[in-house]
Amino acid sequence: MAREQSITLTVNGREYTRTVTVRTSLADFLRDHLHLTGTHTGCEHGVCGACTVSLNGRSARSCLTLAVQADGGDVVTIEGLRDDEGEWSPVQKAFFENFAVQCGFCTPGFLITAIELLRGNPDPSEEEIREYLSGNICRCSGYQAIIKAVQAAAAAARGQE
Amino acid sequence: MSGLRFVNEKAVGTSVLPDEARPLLDGEARFLNDIAFPGMYHVAFLRSQHAHALLRGVDTSRAKAHPGVIKVLTGRDLHGKVEPFRSMPNRFSGGQSVQDWLAVEKVRFVGEAICAVVAEDRATAEDAIELIEVDYEPLTPVTNPRDGEKDDAPRIHDTCVNNYLIKREYERGDVDAAFASAHLTVRRGFRIGRKQALCLEGRGCVAAFRRDGFELSMWMSHQLPYVVRHYLARHLGMAENQVRVVAPQTGGGFGQKASIYPEEFVCAWLARLLRRPVKWVEDRLENMVASTHAREQDIELELAVDAQGHILALRSNIWVDVGAYSTYLWSAGMEPLQTGGLMPGPYKVPALRYLTRGVATNKTPVGPYRAVGRPSASASLELLLDETAHRLGIDPVEIRRRNLIDQDEMPYRNANNLVHDNVGYVPCLQMALSKAGYDQLRAAQGQAPAGKLRGIGVACFAELTGLGTSTPVGPGTLLQPGRDAVTLRLETTGTLTIAAALPSQGQRIATAMRQVAADELGISMDDISCLTNDTGMAPYGFGTFASRTAVFGSGAVIQAAAEMRRRILALAAFLLDEPVENLTISSSVVHTLDRGKTLSLRDMAEHSFFSAKDIPQDLNQGFEVTSFYDPKHGSFAAGAHVVVVDVDPDTGAVEIVRYVAAEDVGRLINPAVVEGQIIGGIAQGVGEALLEELVYDEQGQPRTVTLADYLVPSALEVPNIELHHANTPSGALGGFKGCGEGSIIGALGGIACAVADALRQRGGDIHDFPASPERVLRGLGVALDDAG
Ligand code: FES
Ligand code: FES
Repeated sequence: MAREQSITLTVNGREYTRTVTVRTSLADFLRDHLHLTGTHTGCEHGVCGACTVSLNGRSARSCLTLAVQADGGDVVTIEGLRDDEGEWSPVQKAFFENFAVQCGFCTPGFLITAIELLRGNPDPSEEEIREYLSGNICRCSGYQAIIKAVQAAAAAARGQE
Repeated sequence: MSGLRFVNEKAVGTSVLPDEARPLLDGEARFLNDIAFPGMYHVAFLRSQHAHALLRGVDTSRAKAHPGVIKVLTGRDLHGKVEPFRSMPNRFSGGQSVQDWLAVEKVRFVGEAICAVVAEDRATAEDAIELIEVDYEPLTPVTNPRDGEKDDAPRIHDTCVNNYLIKREYERGDVDAAFASAHLTVRRGFRIGRKQALCLEGRGCVAAFRRDGFELSMWMSHQLPYVVRHYLARHLGMAENQVRVVAPQTGGGFGQKASIYPEEFVCAWLARLLRRPVKWVEDRLENMVASTHAREQDIELELAVDAQGHILALRSNIWVDVGAYSTYLWSAGMEPLQTGGLMPGPYKVPALRYLTRGVATNKTPVGPYRAVGRPSASASLELLLDETAHRLGIDPVEIRRRNLIDQDEMPYRNANNLVHDNVGYVPCLQMALSKAGYDQLRAAQGQAPAGKLRGIGVACFAELTGLGTSTPVGPGTLLQPGRDAVTLRLETTGTLTIAAALPSQGQRIATAMRQVAADELGISMDDISCLTNDTGMAPYGFGTFASRTAVFGSGAVIQAAAEMRRRILALAAFLLDEPVENLTISSSVVHTLDRGKTLSLRDMAEHSFFSAKDIPQDLNQGFEVTSFYDPKHGSFAAGAHVVVVDVDPDTGAVEIVRYVAAEDVGRLINPAVVEGQIIGGIAQGVGEALLEELVYDEQGQPRTVTLADYLVPSALEVPNIELHHANTPSGALGGFKGCGEGSIIGALGGIACAVADALRQRGGDIHDFPASPERVLRGLGVALDDAG
């Protein structure tokens, strides 16, 4: 029988305590145990970035992170991006308005990564955006609409919509 | 009749924001892997480690005994109980391939499914796979088509002489005479590696069986739900009306999810056997070997021209490595036949000959992937045109101008028997050149950054979209998916539902159809919803592939809307006591032209259903209309791409420094969506031209099975794309054309020509793609050796 462990962590502002096998990835934990299926797995070997979540304020590949490693941690997933009033974050809004979503399978990872970028760098250049997002694969969009969306979100956050 | 007959043109032509995207931004969309049922079992597959081997024994005893394992299924268990996949007959078939759902006597590629394990959870199923012991007797593999067609090559299928799954020789016009009398003949080789569509979401299914309603319900990440339904019923021996197929939210398709594969059919069989829902979700490592590959072509082509560079004849010799089986439904003819037949592209070719073959090898089967066959057809000819222009001492643009089919020559029947009409090849080229500032680019070509070789590539392409019943999707195939239907239903609350079996993998088909319906009917877009993915609700349709969906969906909406509008106005005329001619519909309200009398669709629909007593029956036929649309022929889309690259002669690295595209995709429904399709296609073309290649060793072992080995472009490799429209409306209803595939054709040609142009400055050249750093260096090195 696979070894099990009890973990307690905060996900999207809510605390959960669950028992998991130690080999369970954070991605599977979020999806199968908490039914937060907005986080996607596109490779399960750390390359595509679709599974990216925020763990203790930093983006993390939830396919390569074990659930037990997130014990005591604070996780934000795509389901937790709306603000307290239930409004989309500027990045979600900009992705919608700039047609940055096609099949949408990559979208959760891009949203989390883009929000992290803008938190550290409110006015990134196109080069900086491309560089920061280069660990996330989108097979549909050719990235152009995503980059435009990040630029628009940055502008909106700086109050110059 | 021209299609330009919209009632109140508002929505079509506008970048309407797609409501379909909202759940994707909230993490609430339901993809296949997000579907779960109580008591659902999980399936994993044991796959062949060998490229070519006899199966001497499969010992499943330890797996069966593993706790949590419900069932272990082998090929022998299924043998005789289900109908295997026999390759579709094709006029140009070589032998036939027969693919068991689970291998019985022989495995023919690494990754072929041998056993299925059903367990209580996925991890247990995967653990049990490791406990199965297979006794293989290895056979000599075939790993390339030139060896595979030799008389003494091992035979992969008993009936396939020289391993030909397909072979066709075509000739039209006097090719030999043209070559004999030509001013110049130029010959070139072109090779393109094996590709993968690499949908970010792999394949998968949930199959559920119960004697209540539909016996078999399948949720499947797939582009063609009705086609799957037909074949599920046929292969499982079920009544088709007992099968429902739903394509949930799908994470990319690109053709890879348009074929029929064994795994989903095994799951359907297991669900029926076990009377429990079963789920299988492909992981990436499986996807790299078990979902169809694409391309892998080896082409020799030769052009005969007169002194001005006018094409007199084109001949080619094509080998396609089509893998171990003829891909079910589409056949192994996809790549070989389309590459040969569509090579002339947008150019006047008076005489054409090709000999094309699909040779079986011990690799994953090759199936459809965005723009099947055409990228290599186009790029090989574009490179040959550049070389010809170089030999004639004229600019590459000039030779294209002299050979493109011009507007005033249309309709034009080319030597491949295709008729070009309502398409602007020359306008696209002119737009791309002027937007790029081509003359200045050429003039400044020598001023590349220090140490870099600058190359400029110009590629023109034709892309046949929205094929009707008169134009088969591939020559010689039985499949003629030339029609599709929509049902329009005015609900009793006055809202409109559009139902069609045209699933979207991000193309926003529902938004497009809503836009068209809004304009045709005068119903507000907010009052229109659209279901595109469920055979339980939609009328028959072939589904989404071959740049057809917007054309068919919109055409069928236009037809059905005409009848719906007639019924609405007839009833409203009675209720309002006004002549029909005096009425119109806007913003979901029927009103007299002077707006003196009004009747909301809501009131009318409610009245007609709930209190119909006073309405004459002939005016109350119900507000549900189904219409099939068949555009008969296809519509050519077109484009011209201008690409500027800098090549580093020390490292072989290629950087795209400028990318300008001009496209003719007909009348636009939603410009921002169209641009997303075109730019996304170019990005895949960047991968195709520079990065992506599935590599096998001589034993038939795949060497690229992770995303760390198979390199798809990231935001750093895809340049900013300057996209311009040079649209000519098509002859289809609405003037629409397909836009999903063309741009990947232009991208391969444009980038390939730019790289070759850069190398030519040092006397180099390149024939093998993707243009990896090694190949670029070799392209320079060989030339240096020759020069020495
Ligand atoms: S699924 Fe985690 S990086 Fe791809
Ligand atoms: S939208 Fe499909 S992978 Fe990004």
